[in-house]
Amino acid sequence: MHEPVWEFLIVNYLFLGGLSAGLYFVSGLAAWFQEDGQSAFPRLARWGALLAPWPVSLGSVLLIFDLGKPLRFWKLFFHFRWQSPMSIGSWLLVLFTLVSLVNLWAWLEQGERQGLLARIPEAIRSRIPARIRGYLDRDASAWRRTLAMAGFPLAVGVGIYTGVLLGAVQARPFWNTNLVAQMFLFSALSSGAATILLVRLLDKEAMDLKEVRFLYTLDIVLISLEFFIVLPYLIHGELSVLAVREALALILGGPYTLVFWGLFLGAGLLVPLAIEIYEFKPLLTGKGTFHLNPRLAMTAASLVILGGYTLRYVFVFAGQASGFR
Amino acid sequence: MAKKMKRYALVLDSKKCIDCKACVVACKAENEVPVGVYRNRINVEKSGEYPKLRTSFDPEQCHHCDNPSCVRVCPTGASWQREDGIVLVKYDDCVGCKYCIIACPYDARFHHPEKHTVDKCTFCVQRVDRGELPACVETCPSKVRVFGDLNDSKSPIHLLLATRRHRVLKPQTGNGPQLYYLL
Repeated sequence: MHEPVWEFLIVNYLFLGGLSAGLYFVSGLAAWFQEDGQSAFPRLARWGALLAPWPVSLGSVLLIFDLGKPLRFWKLFFHFRWQSPMSIGSWLLVLFTLVSLVNLWAWLEQGERQGLLARIPEAIRSRIPARIRGYLDRDASAWRRTLAMAGFPLAVGVGIYTGVLLGAVQARPFWNTNLVAQMFLFSALSSGAATILLVRLLDKEAMDLKEVRFLYTLDIVLISLEFFIVLPYLIHGELSVLAVREALALILGGPYTLVFWGLFLGAGLLVPLAIEIYEFKPLLTGKGTFHLNPRLAMTAASLVILGGYTLRYVFVFAGQASGFR
Repeated sequence: MAKKMKRYALVLDSKKCIDCKACVVACKAENEVPVGVYRNRINVEKSGEYPKLRTSFDPEQCHHCDNPSCVRVCPTGASWQREDGIVLVKYDDCVGCKYCIIACPYDARFHHPEKHTVDKCTFCVQRVDRGELPACVETCPSKVRVFGDLNDSKSPIHLLLATRRHRVLKPQTGNGPQLYYLL
């Protein structure tokens, strides 16, 4: 069997791309909900919008560095091959990054926008046509919801694509199921929700309970969906042909068993799910009052992020170790 | 009528293989393959229990599949297939993403440590196009390898595959491999 040719750069990239997709998705959702004609969760939406472009940009840079010929990366955009997930994915990444940057701009306050524009050296700024400068300095807050909607397909596309990239390889039975794409998507979205929860907890402005409830609800739904995809992945795999069972042996007694069950499924999925449901309990049972326990919230959010990363790690490495005989 | 299309393939009579690795050396010399990486190899498998022991040698390289998964996943079209079935890499278009290495069920591809692109067996196209045999075929002292055009009914491989039982490796991946192993 081959030594793995995709290593940590790819693990990081898959995680970061998914994280951005999740940040954008949660931010968009938060922007979409309204109360009395006002955005219901403006701070969540803003944090998500401000953060979304950066992980995917960093991930794309890592991806380019993983190439044997990094300087040739532009060739990815000049030979469109619809049968190659990577070809479609490269375009998705670029489009998503651009839309998320526009979205970020739309969430800046007037002062921030002008501050950034003022930082552009005068020599360059004077060459930007007045019309474009006018556009850049326009208040786009009315466009935020439209942008959120426009970017949803791209964000979900990026989240799914990171899984399809692996799932589309029929030579690797560990990957070659449609469940991997869904698993990666929901993991991506939940790590986005967890990151927004984490930065809101660290934010100077205290979280209000409405925000906590929104993020907990979202996270519980997303983690549950992920869990109910991991289960059939395991069960269906065990009921599948020999090659798939041999591939699953990598996480059922093989070298990735502990990481998969301990770090991903246990610490990264079930423990945060339990914490969040425990915190959410007053809203379900009507007993006690719903409150925010920052320590527990922070633990849950960090664990979700850890789980998202571990999932990428296990799949990238175990997948390459799987094969047919 | 137009000339019938060629379809190159390789027949291997592995029972004749003595694991001398002359094919590996010939390939390296012909194609300047760097130290540490290989375009072809001999899989050695030992089985049984003493005193009933058995060792089998199965030479393997790119299977030049009918439906090559490496070509499908390549994002730039650098991995491509000639009409005569030979799967090649356009080294100038390869970005080195290594997706094809992972997508190949036969582990036939590798990262070239000097070119920093992907590399693999080419059936020695440079020789085949001159009407010669691939280096591994020409050099094999025990005549394990028979190379030829499947669509040429007079070719030795056509005769061999018509008369001898044979198998291909991992047919379940659907790649349609074109390395035929005689039983």
